[in-house]
Amino acid sequence: MIAIAILIGCVLGAILGMNTPMISYTYSSYLAIAIIAALDSVFGGITSVIKKNFDLKIFITGFFGNAILSILLTILGEKLNVDIYLAAIVVFVGRMFTNLAIIRRYYVDKWSNQLKEKNEKKD
Amino acid sequence: MKANIKKGKITIAIAIGIACFALVFVMLMQFKIVNQTDITAIENMRETELRTELANWKAKYEETELKYEEIREKIDEYKETKQSNEETEKLVDDELEQVNMTLGKTYVEGEGIEVTLRDTENEEISKISSSDLLVIVNALKLAGAEAISINEERIVNMSDIVTINDTFIKVNGQRILAPYIIKAIGNQTYLESALLGNGGYVDELKKIGHDVSIVKINKVKINQYNDEIKIKYME
Repeated sequence: MIAIAILIGCVLGAILGMNTPMISYTYSSYLAIAIIAALDSVFGGITSVIKKNFDLKIFITGFFGNAILSILLTILGEKLNVDIYLAAIVVFVGRMFTNLAIIRRYYVDKWSNQLKEKNEKKD
Repeated sequence: MKANIKKGKITIAIAIGIACFALVFVMLMQFKIVNQTDITAIENMRETELRTELANWKAKYEETELKYEEIREKIDEYKETKQSNEETEKLVDDELEQVNMTLGKTYVEGEGIEVTLRDTENEEISKISSSDLLVIVNALKLAGAEAISINEERIVNMSDIVTINDTFIKVNGQRILAPYIIKAIGNQTYLESALLGNGGYVDELKKIGHDVSIVKINKVKINQYNDEIKIKYME
C-alpha cells in the first residue's frame, strides 16, 4: 500500500516537475538542501511506518520544517560566510543511512523469517 | 478497530505519497536547473562572489580609465609643448639663416648691381689699386648693400682688400686679377647713385680714364665666404 503511494507520488511529481519553468541558478543551492531535507523526512517516515510509531503531525512538520530550516541555515551560512549547509547535509545524509539500514534490516529479517517458516513446513 | 487501522494506513500512505510527490517535483526542478546551466568556473561561485568580482573589475576598470585620462592629458600637454618648441625652433632657424646670410656663410641672390673695372692700357694712368676697390666697397656699404663680392670673393666683416708689392691685389687672402667685378645686392638705385653722380667714385675713375661699367641685374648671385670663420681669441 505504501509502496503504491510512493510510486504514484513519484510518477506524478516527475510529470509535473518536467513541465515547471526554470528557476534562477541563485536559488538552486537552497533547493538542493531542501531536497536533501525532504528526502531524509521521507525515509524517516517510512522507517516510522515500519517501526509502527508513525505520527502524521510529526511527519508533516518534519517534512516542511526540516526543508525550511535547512534553507534558512544555508542563507545564514552565506551571510556569515560559513558553509553551514555542509553540516546540514552531513546530518541529513547520516540519518538517511541509519533509516535505510533500519528499513533494510526489517525486510531482510522478514525475508529470512519467511524462508525459515517454509523450511520448517517442509520438514 | 480494523477499519480504523485501515483508515490510519491510508492516511499514512497518502501523506508519504504527497511527500514523495513534492520531493520528486522539487528534485526534477533542481535537475533541470543543474542541467541547463553551464558548468564552468563561474558555476562554482556563489552569486555574491560573482558580485564582488564584478565590483572589483568595475573598480579596476574605472581606475584604469582614470589613469588613461591622466596620461592622455599629459600627452596633450607634451604635444602643446612640442608645438611651441617647434615654433621656437623655427624662429631660431630663421634667425640662424639670416645670421648666416649676413655673415656670408651662404650663397645668396637678389636684385643689385654689378660693377666691372678694367685697367686702361694707357701706362700713364695708375692701375686700379686695392684702395680704389675699398672705396667702392665702402660706398656700396653706405648705400645699404647687403652682400658684396669682388671676383667671387665674398666681402665679410673681416675681409681684407690689400695690394701687395704694387703688383697684385689680394682679397680674403686670395689673389685676384683684372677685370675686377664687384657684385652687390641691395637697392639698385641707391647703389648706383652712390657710385655715380656728383662725387661718385666711379665717375672719378672714369674721369681718370678707367673703363668702368655699372649694370643693374635683377638676380645677382653671390657665393658664400669660402674660408672658415675662426674664433680663437674672442670670448
